[in-house]
Amino acid sequence: MGHRDRRLGRRMVLPLILLLLAVQGYPMAFAVYISAHDYRLTALSEIRWVGLEQYRGLLGNSSYWTAMKNTLVFVFGAVGLELLLGFLLAYLLWRPVPAQNLFRAILLTPMFVTPIAVGLMFRFLLNNQLGIIPVWLRSLGLEIDWFGPDLALFSLILIDVWQWTPLMVLLLLAGLEALPVEPFEAARVDGASELQIIRHLTIPLIRPVMLAAILIRMLDAFRVFEYVYAITRGGPGERTETILFHIYRVGFLYFRLGEAAAMAITLALVIFVLVVLLFRILRRQEALT
Amino acid sequence: MFRRVTGFVIVLGMLASWLFGCRPAAPSPVTLTIIMEQVPDTDVIRKLLPDFEKENPGIKVVIDAMPYDAMRDKILASFMAPKATYDVIIVDNPWMDEFVAGNFLEPLDDRIRGVPDYDFEDFVKPVRDIGVVGSKIYGIPFYNYAVGLIVRQDLFDDPAYRDAYQKKYGKPLAPPTTLEDYVRIAQFFKEQSGGKIYGAAMQPQRGYKVFEEWKNWLYAAGGNLLDDQGKVILDRPEAVRALELYIEMYKTAAPPNSLNWGFDEALRSMAAGEAATMMSYNWMLPTLNNPQGPAGNLAGKFALYEVPGGKAVLGAWHWAIPRNAPNKDASWRFISWVTSKRIEKQRVILGGAPVRVSAMKDPEVWQKGFGQSYYETVLKILEDAEPLARGPKAEEIIQVVGTELNAAVAGEKTAEQALRDAAAQVRRILGQ
Repeated sequence: MGHRDRRLGRRMVLPLILLLLAVQGYPMAFAVYISAHDYRLTALSEIRWVGLEQYRGLLGNSSYWTAMKNTLVFVFGAVGLELLLGFLLAYLLWRPVPAQNLFRAILLTPMFVTPIAVGLMFRFLLNNQLGIIPVWLRSLGLEIDWFGPDLALFSLILIDVWQWTPLMVLLLLAGLEALPVEPFEAARVDGASELQIIRHLTIPLIRPVMLAAILIRMLDAFRVFEYVYAITRGGPGERTETILFHIYRVGFLYFRLGEAAAMAITLALVIFVLVVLLFRILRRQEALT
Repeated sequence: MFRRVTGFVIVLGMLASWLFGCRPAAPSPVTLTIIMEQVPDTDVIRKLLPDFEKENPGIKVVIDAMPYDAMRDKILASFMAPKATYDVIIVDNPWMDEFVAGNFLEPLDDRIRGVPDYDFEDFVKPVRDIGVVGSKIYGIPFYNYAVGLIVRQDLFDDPAYRDAYQKKYGKPLAPPTTLEDYVRIAQFFKEQSGGKIYGAAMQPQRGYKVFEEWKNWLYAAGGNLLDDQGKVILDRPEAVRALELYIEMYKTAAPPNSLNWGFDEALRSMAAGEAATMMSYNWMLPTLNNPQGPAGNLAGKFALYEVPGGKAVLGAWHWAIPRNAPNKDASWRFISWVTSKRIEKQRVILGGAPVRVSAMKDPEVWQKGFGQSYYETVLKILEDAEPLARGPKAEEIIQVVGTELNAAVAGEKTAEQALRDAAAQVRRILGQ
């Protein structure tokens, strides 16, 4: 690339960089700024510098830790189940099926519903007195308290699985269909069983796609808010208080934006660490193959 | 170079024309923008607007209605702006002290004095008091949402239930006036109906809902959140008793697994005929008794009473003028018109929830509205009612107490422990 081309190139990306700075850089920098201040919307005349005090406050804030723990359980539970189910479904669909496109389209529909509507749907579907699911379960002799203290978080995980497994299927299926045919033919000729093929061929081959899918879903799952908001409001007690819901509560109900910003930044750090870990795994895989 | 400059000038010109082109033409008649919630009471105001605009030709009113959860942010953003987006706002009672503390609202005392025959004292005192902070008036009552006990009167009048209750307890079956009676009657309905009709559709959802319902129980047990000196008394024995009875009710007489129930579920349960009583807003009664409403065939069979113990949780919306509103005189013209005795009467006849004593005692309102006994009961409820929490930290107090209460109902903590934890947190919030 010539000198002039490079200069032109730099100038071409300049607008994008400016845009990113304006819409991402500024809010992020401002969040860092207010996280170091006692910044309350109802007392804007009393903003003062507090340094790391708000971060230190989080250490002893049990609600914050509960919310963080709940969120991690939610993310690992939901994404784990979605990966498992998504892979099974994608594997089953990875062959000529009659009315294939229609079938896939139907499978994807949960993704098209807005999450707050999904939350409200399940709030009533799972309602013990008004919902249809408990009625079916009762005819089987089962009585389940979906939003009681033991199951509430798990119920929210199941709702997430219902809505987002299709995305996992979509991504994994695309990955499967892009795989070369030859290794599989060779394996079959050599007499490998179906399970052996999955374990030693399919999974290793689509691992990069899997990791990308996990990453996408994970980032999304950290943002869980709608189901909590529509169904449990964080209850029973704090069993389903997720970190984003907690941040919302502190920031937009109590208007303590400084403290909320400090929480949001710790959350960003947690996510950042997880993403780096995932990328490292991905890179090591690539180096191996 | 030349081309670059011309390009720049063109872009600048486009930007400028875009910026200035969006500006509305100079407003010769004043347009008032009011933020409101999407609820039936807002529809009533909409019906009254043509009259206001006819009587005040220079003023046009635009209502910006939205769901509750969007309102607080928008109102706050309007406060922060150099010029308010909203000329008139409505304020939910937990926000009132906070907004005044933030110096966001215009005091209205002088304006009230300037309106002949306004009769501010005619608003029911507990409702009126919410809008008074310090010694100044910042909010004018719009409508109330005080809690009452809504029951299936047909069940209470049913001879089979009456006889069975008389035989079992040796006294007549009647809507409860004490907590013990309430729990017993609710248990009775569940047993007697073979589990088909639950005694009470409760709302133990974490946060606002559970506190709003349970605080009626707390009042009935003789307790409160704070004493007269403002000290936290949430961990006193009365409160423990109120919570233990509430939990007993949940476990023995409410629909099973209803720990996350809020307003909607309780209403549906009542409307579907699956519950005999619920504590809810007094104006849910006309909704339930409306043949076109959610209860269908059961319409007409519901009745409203005071909650057991007689003292109720009070909720109310108030009209207020933001300090940074540009047309305060026009804003006040609207507020003083819509809250005047004359318009309050029309508003209540159209189905709005009353706040003026005169409207609730008006035979014309009884006749054209929902009947004498309804308005008399509402007045009784309002006269002895108190908001969930006051002060600039009300919202946070409500949330932390509502979390502990919900944990106790879920069996995560004992009633005593939950209240001790709640009291400790409220003390911390209040800096005690």
